[in-house]
Amino acid sequence: MTSSMTSVLKNSGKTNRPNDTQLAAFGAELDALRERTLTDLGERDARYIRRIYAAVRYTEVIGRGLLFFGLFPPAWIVGTLLLGISKILDNMELGHNVIHGQYDWMNDPHLSGKTFEWDIVGTADHWRKTHNYSHHTYTNIKGMDEDIGYGVLRLFPEQRWRPFFIGQPIYALIFALLFQWGVAIQDLRFGQYFKGKKTGKEMLEEMKPFLKKSRRQLIKDYVIFPLIAGPFFLPVFLGNLAANGIRNLWTYMIIFCGHFTADVELFPKSVLRNESRGQWYYRQIRGSSNLTGSKLLHIMSGNLSHQIEHHLFPDIPAHRYEEMSREVRAICQRYGVHYNRGPLIKQFSQVIWRILRYSLPSKYVPIKASA
Amino acid sequence: MTASQTLKRLVAPLVDPAVYDFWAQKVHPTLSWDRCLARVVERHVEARDTVSLTLKPNGLFTGFQPGQHLNVTVEVNGVRLTRSYSPSDSLHKDGRIRLTIKAIAQGKVSQHLVHSCQIGDVVELGSAYGDMTLPEEPHAWLFVAAGSGITPIMSLLNTLTQKPLQQPASLIYWARTRADLCFSEALHKMTENDPLLKVHTVLTREPNRLENELDGHPRESLFRNLVPDLERRRIYACGPHGFVQSVESLLADKAALFQAEAFSPSPVVTTAGAPVNLFLSKSNISVQIPSGVPLLEALEAEGLKPAYGCRMGICNTCSCQKQLGTTTDTRNGNTFSEPGAVRLCINSANSDLTLEL
Ligand SMILES: Cc1cc2nc3c(=O)[nH]c(=O)nc-3n(C[C@H](O)[C@H](O)[C@H](O)COP(=O)(O)OP(=O)(O)OC[C@H]3O[C@@H](n4cnc5c(N)ncnc54)[C@H](O)[C@@H]3O)c2cc1C
Ligand code: FES
Repeated sequence: MTSSMTSVLKNSGKTNRPNDTQLAAFGAELDALRERTLTDLGERDARYIRRIYAAVRYTEVIGRGLLFFGLFPPAWIVGTLLLGISKILDNMELGHNVIHGQYDWMNDPHLSGKTFEWDIVGTADHWRKTHNYSHHTYTNIKGMDEDIGYGVLRLFPEQRWRPFFIGQPIYALIFALLFQWGVAIQDLRFGQYFKGKKTGKEMLEEMKPFLKKSRRQLIKDYVIFPLIAGPFFLPVFLGNLAANGIRNLWTYMIIFCGHFTADVELFPKSVLRNESRGQWYYRQIRGSSNLTGSKLLHIMSGNLSHQIEHHLFPDIPAHRYEEMSREVRAICQRYGVHYNRGPLIKQFSQVIWRILRYSLPSKYVPIKASA
Repeated sequence: MTASQTLKRLVAPLVDPAVYDFWAQKVHPTLSWDRCLARVVERHVEARDTVSLTLKPNGLFTGFQPGQHLNVTVEVNGVRLTRSYSPSDSLHKDGRIRLTIKAIAQGKVSQHLVHSCQIGDVVELGSAYGDMTLPEEPHAWLFVAAGSGITPIMSLLNTLTQKPLQQPASLIYWARTRADLCFSEALHKMTENDPLLKVHTVLTREPNRLENELDGHPRESLFRNLVPDLERRRIYACGPHGFVQSVESLLADKAALFQAEAFSPSPVVTTAGAPVNLFLSKSNISVQIPSGVPLLEALEAEGLKPAYGCRMGICNTCSCQKQLGTTTDTRNGNTFSEPGAVRLCINSANSDLTLEL
């Protein structure tokens, strides 16, 4: 643990914030990169996202098909894996990115950010609010970005310790296994209901779209497909359960690696006052971290392995982040802005370290305004 | 309602149209749950830079009347673009449609359709619109066409001349040169078969005009000479914006009826701050807003409350379909004239707009 502590200390050395003039030039360079990429969008990007769509469809059909023969263990294993892969691709490289409006320029109603729905219990509408809006606009601002610990975890010394957090390693595990549910109910604010700030009726009204969507998902995976399988009800049921579980664990891991590695910073609300474009870019970079790895890792993570680029350019097709990241890194280097990246193992160990470390009391660190 | 329509209604809640289309199109490229797709089955060069494409639409096509137009959507370099084209023939018995397209210099869609589109390609069709159609009872007609404006008129003439004419009909057809003329042979045959039909061609840039070919721009004397009984004619005119405007000012009050369709857009407002009309098609509200101001702000100033989140173009919450008009991205000054999604917080109006709100 001491080595990780030193990384936090070192951290302060890495975050020398460029001055405002430098940040303005820094922002202009990133804007220019954005424009260059936007003008280059075309056929290649359209073909790419349609190939991903096809991959989701084929893996789903083959996966579900194999599960019908799930009494035969190899078929069950491969079927479950394929269905899990299908759901991961659907949620990440397809759904997450399409819902950001990354492919709106194609003007294809089936790939429209405003109407796309995905294979997960949370509604796309709800996601547009908590994720596209709150998380992307207020990235890593304490008290505004609800993705910081998702309201149940303490991951930063800047969050006050309470005895509740002792059980955090367990909550984190449960949260990972049920990640799609956690994300789905994030915006419902049960806390307000329990504190009596919301009536039961209001709570129910707000829950309606979620209940409808999750009922549909549950019926699909745990009633309709198992029933179609007839005598093989159980293997299909269990396969679907496992596939959803695989997807949950994987997405949890990728998303936590994006914002909760050792070096990322939190910001106070005051940064929002007159935040310039360059300062906004700077905050996005300092609040995110990338994963290095193979093309497969990038595709399977919906290119959220390029979390930094995603936060800088949330509306640019994600498969472009790889090529953009080279330029972003060069720009960051020129301005002395630390660019946080590392292999999955390293980044995820840092996440686990945060989960374990901050379950225990630590000195409360107030956030410095000029982080 | 047919049995298959009833069945479709019943299972609709269970069907994701995108998934249905994906698998159905593995079977046949124009199969779709809810979109009218058509396959290009024939291509024929009609004149210089002009081709006719024959399309075979799927079962969702609801037909058209001669003289009407169809919105055609094609994908060019990954982007779906929609333009209007008019069938140049009556609906064929086997359900095929013929469109005639002239390539416009630097035109995105027309260049694609004329030069890159191939037999087997699939396009999407909207439902037919336009009211330059043929009434039941016979009338004396004058058709005035310029350039690709000949297309809907060709469809009207093909339909009119299926039976012998009972009243006179004339076509005055403007083109630059003889090589730009479409349907010369078909028109010639029609006049041979029916003495009541007269066809005159006017060529504005032809160096070697023939005896029966006229020249110059639309003018009253020309119409009076060719059609002495102008007052009893019903006039349909079709062509570029400027052409149609000048014909209208010459003839609108001199004939029994005058209707016109302009094929090219009218020039857009560009002075920032000038008021433009904004129509919100879902709520059926019209408001006037200043151009150059982000639409979200402009709408709020009118007391309207569109959904928004970040107000800086990141979250896509405020995004809505623009059906008509030109907008400017306030971040980089780029203008967009295509229908498609716009983010209200970072786009301002550049012309009258129709938004799906
Ligand atoms: C009701 C209606 C029916 C139509 N029917 C036909 C038809 O049957 N056959 C046909 O070929 N076209 C027809 N058009 C025109 C067609 O819809 C397109 O406008 C035309 O093909 C140009 O589109 P584009 O994408 O190639 O050009 P764009 O990329 O949209 O425009 C390129 C440039 O050309 C200018 N421009 C656009 N349209 C025209 C035009 N018609 N003439 C001259 N300049 C233009 C634009 O202002 C722009 O500067 C019709 C238009 C309307 C409104
Ligand atoms: S309000 Fe967020 S993109 Fe417009």
